[in-house]
Amino acid sequence: MSKKSRSKLWFLVHSWLALPIWFFVLIVCVTGTLAVVSQEIVWLANPDIRASKPSDDAEPLSFDQVIAAIRRDEPKAIVRSIIRPDESHFALTVGLSYPDGRTVEAYANPYTGAIQGISPSFNFQQFTRALHGWWLVPFTNGYSWGWYLVSLLGLPLLASLVTGLVVYKRFWKGFLRPTLRIRHGARIFWGDFHRLSGIWSIWFIAVISITGTWFLIQAILGDNQISISSEPIVPVIARDKVPLSAPGVPAPMIALDEAIEIATQRIPGLDATFAFLPLNAYSHLQIGGRGWYPLMFQTAQLNPYNGEIAVSHLLSDRSTLEFVTESMRPLHTGDFGGLWIKLIWAFFGLVLSMMVLSGLLIWTKRTALATLNALKREAKVQRAPIAKLAETSEAHS
Amino acid sequence: MSKVAAVPASPLRAFWRKWRFHINVLLLLIPLGFMPKYFADAALFRGDTGLGERVAGQVQVGPWSLTLAEFRNEGPSPDPAGPMKFFNAALCDSCTEQVKATYLRIGKPRSLRAAGVIFFGTPYRMGAALPVPERTPADAELWVTMEGWDGTMHQGSIPLSQASPATIAWLNKQGVKP
Repeated sequence: MSKKSRSKLWFLVHSWLALPIWFFVLIVCVTGTLAVVSQEIVWLANPDIRASKPSDDAEPLSFDQVIAAIRRDEPKAIVRSIIRPDESHFALTVGLSYPDGRTVEAYANPYTGAIQGISPSFNFQQFTRALHGWWLVPFTNGYSWGWYLVSLLGLPLLASLVTGLVVYKRFWKGFLRPTLRIRHGARIFWGDFHRLSGIWSIWFIAVISITGTWFLIQAILGDNQISISSEPIVPVIARDKVPLSAPGVPAPMIALDEAIEIATQRIPGLDATFAFLPLNAYSHLQIGGRGWYPLMFQTAQLNPYNGEIAVSHLLSDRSTLEFVTESMRPLHTGDFGGLWIKLIWAFFGLVLSMMVLSGLLIWTKRTALATLNALKREAKVQRAPIAKLAETSEAHS
Repeated sequence: MSKVAAVPASPLRAFWRKWRFHINVLLLLIPLGFMPKYFADAALFRGDTGLGERVAGQVQVGPWSLTLAEFRNEGPSPDPAGPMKFFNAALCDSCTEQVKATYLRIGKPRSLRAAGVIFFGTPYRMGAALPVPERTPADAELWVTMEGWDGTMHQGSIPLSQASPATIAWLNKQGVKP
């Protein structure tokens, strides 16, 4: 095969990877971009989730102080969990259980503990994630087929990256001499745009396609009950470790702040940002947060009656393989280093969406041109006036 | 005027050539179709639509009682550990502080240690995944065991046919005759 026809073949492969499913790929890219900054979008739209300081010198409350404030304001509500989001401009997310049976996320002010609102029944964050992640197809038995449908896109995306770089001869020169010709017609512009944004997104496309493919592997492993986790399975608290008490008097539990203290001593460098309260009388209290490696969480499960740590899951417990696999999700979502990383992810997500569109535009303009050329050839033979028409419309394209 | 149609193309073929790369827009029908189900599920999980899809009724357990509901009004779901049926429950208003733990089991438990699966959650809304063996007789009873903070134990039951008609239908389908 000649060099020319081989590159033509690569070009065809590159075009065909996304073309027949361009709209699906586009929507997945756009919803993914939205999902990255969904928390920020809700922050803009809903004042309830903002952590407004009552005064300049206000100090954030401890978890126990927050629970006390909630008990004071809503004595009937039961706190199930408290999560301190990564960015300090967000309110605390508190899992609340109400006497009417609702279990909802509520937003508590980190400085006063006041419940500022409960999450609306339309949860934008969850909705964009569900649409992006599994196309809203419900999980009935194992992973939803929508999950497979979306995560399968990781493969053509990776192939697009590779074939794109093969087709784009000496692409590294594009870094030194960026070209974006604006005044040479749409076809030239979109071609330049596609190549320019492509080379600057190499790292991002690689990250998204590899992590996306991981989601596919994760589903395959999960649906076949194959586990690579080193996380210990936590048995319930033994009957004799739960103290008996007087009828109608629940056995006293240690304070949440004390539990955090114990967990922090056990896990050096732990920045405890969440607490899940026991799910029943024989269940542990879970404390967790990030450590030196921002992409993974460390947790400790404590007996809530005596503070004894039953199990902990530290960074050092993880196998090398787990460091890779557990890093996949944060790398995909850009949720591991605050607002700026999310904004970078969202920007490149937008660029990637535009690449799908520009790819499509290039193709349609090329086929339009090819059709016109074919018409021209035919017209020449038949001396029909269509050739002129074709020329003028080509000049406009 | 055009004489392009030297090779006569059928309109169907022309239509296909024009639209073949845009047919995938129809994939958008999938999330659109699942949207009502998505929102119904979201409301179910939040508890906006009650304890579960079907409230089975009250079960008296000694001095205490609970409201039992089927999380979904359907038969057990497949699970690597065998078919599982999800029940939700809420304790009576006066017993939220009294009850230390609540258990669920098909058939009467002989002791507290064999009381069955434990409920997780708060007294207002808790859930349990009950294993349902395929050979369960259709006239089986569902037993609720409650344990007080001082270790006292009370039991109560409800016919499985009342707790979950869908499970009975599922059992009948498995070939178990009442």
